[in-house]
Amino acid sequence: MKSFANVNARDAKDAVAKLGQPNAVAVGGGSDLLGMVKEHLVEPDVLVHLKSIRKLDQVSAKAGEVQIGGLITLDTLSREPAIRSRYTVLAEAAESVGTPQIRNAGTLAGNVCQRPWCWYYRNGFPCFKAGGKQCFSITGENQFHAIFGGGPSFIVHPSDTAPALVALDAKFRVTNSDGERTIPAAEFFALPRVDAARENVLAQDEILTAVDLPAARPHTRSTYHKVLDREAWTHAVVSAAIVLEMDQQVCKSARIVLGGVAPIPWRLPKVEAMLAGKPITPELAAQAAEAALEGANPLAKNAYKVPLTKAVVRRTLLSLATKA
Amino acid sequence: MNTLKTVGHPTSRIDAEKRVTGTATYTGDLRLPGMLYARVLRSPHPHARIRRIDLSRAQALPGVKAILTHENCDVIWGSGDMRNKRYLFNDPVRFVGDAVAAVAATDRHTAEEATRLIAVDYEVLPFVLEPEDALKPGAPEIQPGGNLSPTARGAHEPEQYRRGNIDEGLRAADRVFEDQYSSPHINNAQLEPRVAIAQWDGDRLTVHTPTQGISNCHTEIARDLKLAPEKVRIICQFMGGGFGNKNQDHDFELMAAVLAQQAGAPVKIEFTRKEDFLAVHGRWPTKQYYKVGVRNDGTLTAIQLRGYSGMGPYRKGTGGIAGIEIYQCPHVERLVYPTYTNKAVSANLRGPDFPQGVFGIESLMDDVAYALKMDPVEFRLKNMTRKLNDQIPYTSIGLEDCIRRGAEAFEWRKRWHAPGEGSGPVKRGAGMAMGSFSSSMGRSSAVIDLDARGTYHLHVGVTDIGTGAKTTMALIAAEELGVPLEKIDVIWGDTDRCPFSVGESGSRTTTQTGWAVVEAAKDLKRQMAEKGLPQGNQLLTATVNANPAPLTGQARYSFVAHFAEVEVDTETGHVRVTKYVAAHDSGRIVNPLTAESQVKGGATMGIGMALHEELLYDRASGQPLNAGYYGARILTHLDTPEVDVLWIQTEDPYGPFGAKTLGEPTIIPSPASVGNAIHNAIGKRVNDLPITREKILGVLA
Repeated sequence: MKSFANVNARDAKDAVAKLGQPNAVAVGGGSDLLGMVKEHLVEPDVLVHLKSIRKLDQVSAKAGEVQIGGLITLDTLSREPAIRSRYTVLAEAAESVGTPQIRNAGTLAGNVCQRPWCWYYRNGFPCFKAGGKQCFSITGENQFHAIFGGGPSFIVHPSDTAPALVALDAKFRVTNSDGERTIPAAEFFALPRVDAARENVLAQDEILTAVDLPAARPHTRSTYHKVLDREAWTHAVVSAAIVLEMDQQVCKSARIVLGGVAPIPWRLPKVEAMLAGKPITPELAAQAAEAALEGANPLAKNAYKVPLTKAVVRRTLLSLATKA
Repeated sequence: MNTLKTVGHPTSRIDAEKRVTGTATYTGDLRLPGMLYARVLRSPHPHARIRRIDLSRAQALPGVKAILTHENCDVIWGSGDMRNKRYLFNDPVRFVGDAVAAVAATDRHTAEEATRLIAVDYEVLPFVLEPEDALKPGAPEIQPGGNLSPTARGAHEPEQYRRGNIDEGLRAADRVFEDQYSSPHINNAQLEPRVAIAQWDGDRLTVHTPTQGISNCHTEIARDLKLAPEKVRIICQFMGGGFGNKNQDHDFELMAAVLAQQAGAPVKIEFTRKEDFLAVHGRWPTKQYYKVGVRNDGTLTAIQLRGYSGMGPYRKGTGGIAGIEIYQCPHVERLVYPTYTNKAVSANLRGPDFPQGVFGIESLMDDVAYALKMDPVEFRLKNMTRKLNDQIPYTSIGLEDCIRRGAEAFEWRKRWHAPGEGSGPVKRGAGMAMGSFSSSMGRSSAVIDLDARGTYHLHVGVTDIGTGAKTTMALIAAEELGVPLEKIDVIWGDTDRCPFSVGESGSRTTTQTGWAVVEAAKDLKRQMAEKGLPQGNQLLTATVNANPAPLTGQARYSFVAHFAEVEVDTETGHVRVTKYVAAHDSGRIVNPLTAESQVKGGATMGIGMALHEELLYDRASGQPLNAGYYGARILTHLDTPEVDVLWIQTEDPYGPFGAKTLGEPTIIPSPASVGNAIHNAIGKRVNDLPITREKILGVLA
């Protein structure tokens, strides 16, 4: 790998200042970045280490709201009792990432911000994600690529926690040289037609420092269902993050966000509206699954994702709604 | 079968504690004083001529001690290609990953930086990835003389086998079945990546390397570097697996040796996991076209196979497609075209010719059985081999018992049903497949020294690639000598201290080196009877170079039948193996503990081959896309089913205490049995490995 300097950030503001240096890159757990540096996909001059920032790895509750530091490891997050009980979808998503080793090192902010795992990008093809002007998957091997929101790049967003955070209506706290700005989770992610080189709206000298979760409403239940190509250590082929607010058997409100199908966490507002105020029956779940895939635009080798996603939406919805 | 005192009892490996406590020293752990580190620059193109290599910037980097390219190194890697001259560095380069240069420097980082400072001017050439495309007129020529790799006699024709008359056999059939199957290039994916250390002491070379065979590695390094064999020493004390891609000598060992010579210092060369996947070798991809003739009563009349094997650009393996030999049939024809392509090189991976060929023929035979309304188990019992190629009797054959008792243990009658039967989205299905593997006897050696303290020092040239060979050899010696296992001190893995061993390939170590151990122990017992026990500093030494006469008019084989039950989710395409029974006739089992591990490992590898593994290439650019553990979707522990192992211990008159081979048969029927189980579950067949979610949902759509 290329030579680079390591610097430790004192606090979030210092990290941002240090990221202002030419060709500086932020590193949290480093579980993915180190591999990318070795593969020369990233060639930084400076690595700005965020792990030296204190207290950014904690969960704190204030007036029902919960704030999660961006540096919390996925393992710790998945075991946090407050998250497990009231924001189950996030705990389950964190728990589904990679391997125990990756979850012990990888952070929430790093998982949300990780670069795509499209094999063209990861093998050094000069694609949009590498600053090029082409997406090689369109006519190539696109088994794992997007069926929604594609073009000009057809990557799928690789994060498991991102769909969960969008489903929970989280707010992202971003630190920059002016201080801090707060962005709703759904607006944090950017489609390739907005910026094909990136997956979110973070500027080069901005970092995701924390995530705020709104107070969990009573009678809310949530889950994350991930389809993997083996029992562990793959990104989602397809996943569904679902949050349901129930009144007895009736669904008061629903939020459904898919992973593995689009370049961003793919929210289904139309399906959510279909469910509001109704008891979730097998028939309704099936209708919701059909509606969920309206507008899907598969490539040559990923049409299987359409029936797969339908099954995932229908089953996950039904099992969550009827859970004792 | 009579019970023996030591052989046949589950025994922990003699080096188990060292391995599991992390105190075993692997090649990667070794560090010699003044040692340099080497890295390899590889071709980014599937096919290109090298116009010019500019080393000036790399040479100017402080710490760089030696650089090899095709311009200053003309060493031929003899084991890298059995037909053509394959140099350590070739021009043209013929696959993505072909070595272009190797650099030795004072540290890893400098060596790697230096490879990136080498400027190579390539003339990019047209490339071809699939064997059938490579054989079409006008395809890019990868080796002089054409892309059909020649036979050993140099003829540009397919490998051929015939008995009877295929046309007559097809005419005699009531029904003829025809289908085609394919299998991809997959990697051996052993845990330990490649690393070697070469050190010169004057004109004498020592190479520390993880090898499956110190003896063949020794002979071949001496041959390729034009050194007298006594000037070369190979050491391998602990190694982390190979499954066929650490046998013979390898380019990285030769590179380390030449770099060390030029730099005047020991050199450690290391490959990354990605290099290991792309630049060493994997299983050859195949395309198989079958025709099978059968009478209405299920009797086979003809089997015809035309197959294509993609060898990559160098002929490092046979490219054979085996499997049809497990059926008795009067008229058989097999034509196999080992073909050069610009993909990664293909050669031995556990049962090199077998699991992909058995997948093809066993899928088709399953369909034949179903079409004739016969139970697949009954169909195989009716048609299984009884003599090798219907001609040569086996020394022992437990195939029928493997099938019958395996089916019983699996509860076949309960689990198997008409294809696709069953309601609900998650369907269960049962499948089976069978196989055989040569277990011939051959040359190997052993030396036993008995000292006055009563310790037997057993010198054997084994390395233990995971089979438990060190322990197996000790068990065999203890049994024959009639002493406790603790009295045996095994000396292994060093050509200065150990005699010739056949190498841990072809599943031959137990039968061949084990036989030499039996003979050495017998000789030592004779000497003890004649001369008495050694006293003081005396040693009593038995040296045996066993070279059993080849069997005439008889064939020695191991047999196997595997049974798999799967659960297929027809809505998500997810497959789970829910029951697995592996029945093996490997004669007497020397160490049931390590033997069971072999079966579990082989069956699991086969399940991964059935469901996941494939080295994918981008067709437009010829670039590999998913090299490495993550991309290959190698099974994890969570994916591994319980494997029930059933020993059919036939009495075989040959081999050490009647032991036959085991390591490779364990993978042979595994992908086919899983494929047949999926077919039984969903009523549709996927003919192309791997049977992925995408393909399952595709056939169900």
